[in-house]
Amino acid sequence: MMDPSTLNRRKFLSVAGAGVAGGSLLTMLDARQAPAQIRGTTLRILQWSHFIPAYDAWFDKFAKEWGDKNGVKVRVDHIPHLELPARMAAEFAAGAGHDIIHNGSSILTRLYYKSLVDISDVFGSVGRKYGGWIPAAKPLVEVEGRQYGVPMFYILLPMLYRKDLFDAAGLKAPDTWELARVAARTLKPKGHPTGIQFSQCADANLNWRSLLFSFGGAEADASGDNILIDSKEMREALRFAKALFDEGMTAEVFSWDDASDNRFLASGIGCWIHDAISAYRTTEDTNPPVFKNTVIGLEPAGPAGKRVSVAAANVYMIWKFSKNQQTAKEFLTHFMDNDLAGMTQSRGYNMPYLEANYKKPMPVIGTDPKMQILQDFPKIVAFYGYPGPFTTPIQEVVNLYVLPDMFTRAARGHAIEDVMKWGMGEYRRIYAKHKRA
Amino acid sequence: MAAPLTARQKDFRRHLLIYAGLIPFVVIAVFPIYWMAITAFKHESDLYRMDSIPFWFNLPPTLKNFEILFYQTNYGAWIVNTMTISAWVALITLLTAVPAGYALARLRLPGAENIGISIFMTYLVPGIILFLPLSRVVATLGLQDSWWALVVVYPTFTVPFCTWLMMGFFKTVPMEMEEAARVDGCGQFGALVRVVLPVSLPGVLTSVIFAFTLSMQDFLYGLAFVAPGDQKPVPVGVPTELIRGDVFFWGSLMGAALLVGLPVAILYNFFLDRFIQGITGGLGK
Amino acid sequence: MTTASLSGGPEPAARAVAVSTPVRSARRAWWRTHSAQRKVFGYTLLAPAALYVLLLVGAPFLFSLWLAVSDANVGDPVASFIGLENFRAAWEMDTFWIAFQNSIVFLVVAAIFKGLLGTSLAFLLLQEFKGKKLIRGLVVIPFTLPIAISVLSWKWMYDSQFSVINWALSRVGLIGGYGSESWPIWLGQPHLALAACIAVNVWRSFPFSAIVLLAGFTAVPLEIIDAAKVDGCTFMQRFRHVVVPMIFPILMIGFLFDTVFTLSDLSVVYLLTQGGPANASKILPVLAYQVGIQAGNLGRGAAIALFLVPLLFPALFLVLRSLKRREW
Repeated sequence: MMDPSTLNRRKFLSVAGAGVAGGSLLTMLDARQAPAQIRGTTLRILQWSHFIPAYDAWFDKFAKEWGDKNGVKVRVDHIPHLELPARMAAEFAAGAGHDIIHNGSSILTRLYYKSLVDISDVFGSVGRKYGGWIPAAKPLVEVEGRQYGVPMFYILLPMLYRKDLFDAAGLKAPDTWELARVAARTLKPKGHPTGIQFSQCADANLNWRSLLFSFGGAEADASGDNILIDSKEMREALRFAKALFDEGMTAEVFSWDDASDNRFLASGIGCWIHDAISAYRTTEDTNPPVFKNTVIGLEPAGPAGKRVSVAAANVYMIWKFSKNQQTAKEFLTHFMDNDLAGMTQSRGYNMPYLEANYKKPMPVIGTDPKMQILQDFPKIVAFYGYPGPFTTPIQEVVNLYVLPDMFTRAARGHAIEDVMKWGMGEYRRIYAKHKRA
Repeated sequence: MAAPLTARQKDFRRHLLIYAGLIPFVVIAVFPIYWMAITAFKHESDLYRMDSIPFWFNLPPTLKNFEILFYQTNYGAWIVNTMTISAWVALITLLTAVPAGYALARLRLPGAENIGISIFMTYLVPGIILFLPLSRVVATLGLQDSWWALVVVYPTFTVPFCTWLMMGFFKTVPMEMEEAARVDGCGQFGALVRVVLPVSLPGVLTSVIFAFTLSMQDFLYGLAFVAPGDQKPVPVGVPTELIRGDVFFWGSLMGAALLVGLPVAILYNFFLDRFIQGITGGLGK
Repeated sequence: MTTASLSGGPEPAARAVAVSTPVRSARRAWWRTHSAQRKVFGYTLLAPAALYVLLLVGAPFLFSLWLAVSDANVGDPVASFIGLENFRAAWEMDTFWIAFQNSIVFLVVAAIFKGLLGTSLAFLLLQEFKGKKLIRGLVVIPFTLPIAISVLSWKWMYDSQFSVINWALSRVGLIGGYGSESWPIWLGQPHLALAACIAVNVWRSFPFSAIVLLAGFTAVPLEIIDAAKVDGCTFMQRFRHVVVPMIFPILMIGFLFDTVFTLSDLSVVYLLTQGGPANASKILPVLAYQVGIQAGNLGRGAAIALFLVPLLFPALFLVLRSLKRREW
């Protein structure tokens, strides 16, 4: 937790860092302007339990301070991101609950937009103030030209590799998937295999999509209506994953959840993993020698040099049933004004969506030599649905783990064409159902 | 073996055999508990070691995990919530299930059998298809995000169960006792309160224990209806606040489970004999 | 809803009772009769429980029946009737059949193990020996811990790398070291994953089975067993013809409650594997949750969950039969 004075200093630094001179003044004025009509209201926020407990503590305090200043009673509740959809469904059915609700990874805008407040105004004004949103942000919250949410931050899954092991074996940094595979092939016999989840978990959904998209494949086209999974690139990605598994992994990857690769790295076994930097942080706390030798790498390139890094998006929305919509909007604006403070508090975990906040050096990641590379990710970041929006059929595909299942089948030795046939069947069935509805 | 065994020797052998038979069960039942206990006192870096013996401490034991529980989460409040919720649920269950069980067992009501079966069958409806409609009920009552919501919802599974339990139990009370009481001038109700209930106390206690344990097995309802950190019961609070993103706070998780589970286990054991009497209710006569 | 409407059960039952109860006095008005008073008293006692269950289970259940035949999704307040479309969609789904099959396997295998372990434990606990209370207390612990948390403990014991089970097996030489072919990946190999989930269910519930059986055994009066002994019955005969029929209803009730718990509990599989790898451990409640809540298709989720009901029918049938045998 941090005391208010450092907070202000950080905030000042971050705003100054944004380099939008006029904007920064505006920001500071904005932060102090308390619209009279929100006085006396309450604000309830539901969000995930951040993997860094200190971030939650900071956020709760941050929200409360804002509330105290503006005469708003603020309450923040935390639940794990996996349980957010259930909670959302329950609040929807009840027509009551929180005012602001957070979506993590599974961004349900298209499912709920009829019950969400159109906050195109907040989206527009925040974007204008901070040099626009990165391109991948808008499809997350947009339905038919209106925005129903404010993207708050996203979480990258870069390459985390053991430089000491790579150097000792004379290997090049895993800058392409091919190099990563060679490294795993070389290091597995030395007791240092690699691992990516071939299982039903969030990381599997993210990692295999990074691979597929970097290989030039896609699940659907930019309109989101047409399935593109039946492609040469998908087959290549499957073949690659099978080879990667055979040469560089052990069967344990079939059982992994989101936390397993963290431990795999922290234990000193894994030669590289493709995971959020929480793995890096866990290692820092539990195994300092390994941490010292772990390096963060750019998203590996596919065969044609393409790099797409699929990240876990996080978005805030406002329920239509909320009686404090104005208050909620004010808070979201205030939060976005303090985007970089949040990034600092999350130890560099939260990445901003606003262009102006990419001014180097960024907080935390800009000053840590090993993390600087993360500043280059915004150009290649993508979310579910890429290159189109996160449509409802893709939501079902994601929630039923169809894509990771295809990779799992391939790794288990099913013929590529059988895998394709099964997977295409699932995609078609799901898309057809959503069309029928 | 020439000499016949003495009674003592025989007894000793018998004990030996029984213990030998019991060991696997005790190991199966208790090992995970032991594992939880030791994990709760381990440093995190002690968990991620492959070279050393995991059954004991390789780094000195720590209370850090419990500090996290008590100082960084609302664990204290969760315990209080769990106990209060369970107590209310037990009370509601008693007030509904005891009279119902009595009526079904003793009063020869027309349709009693079918009503009994119908109440019973509601236990068959999986929570997963009830939780969305129930969230509307909870919101209508204005109880969302308060543990009172769970007080309302948990009896949906404790009432059917305990009604059956009580039904069986009341059958064991001889009719004559009740009739004698009625002759002595007690009314229907008087006979129930003064004669039948005291005799059925083990059954009532059994129901209470059951209401308690069943309330602690829920996860889905608690998750869906109660989000505020200080309103959750333990089984919901622990997994929701000690799993953060892709990081598990193993030590604190396990410590939290044990601190609540063990007292309940002890309590359970206290009443086990009565409990056994309770479920056998309507049998053997 | 009045208590009177609750009495509207099938007529035959009512008639049977009416016939069996001697008509007391024709002179007094019917509501003053002893039998009428008894009924009023009885239904009054019954009302709170019946109403509770009717309002909080019956009504929501009807609502989910409606969901199952509608195109409701989590975010759309307006749903329309689409007939059996959701059931058809589930029927056509590959994963649905896998989950259906897994649910049955889960139920049957778990029941067998719980039966075996429960019976043997009950027999052992039936004996008189020193420290019985302590041991009994120890073995019921799994049943008293909140399932959502004890599953997490198992998750840690099944870890692919730090599994304490594997560590022990490896040290005694039953399996190879970490990374070798014979190092089991509990939650990662298709059959093992389902087995691992079943094991947790068995671990949690076998003490309960044992207690229920123990209760049954203690309820059989010793005189009956002795009488059977005198008649020259062997142990198995006594067990089969004397003990089993006597404790049958208890067995059935225990069986039913356990079946319901096992079939509808999603926490074990959900927290251990999410149904993976590649759906090898997917069971119906988890699928219903993923389709209905996480992917937002309430209607289809409800339809999938409702398939649990036919699975529960055999259990229900057995229980109803056993209830009929009980003396009313």
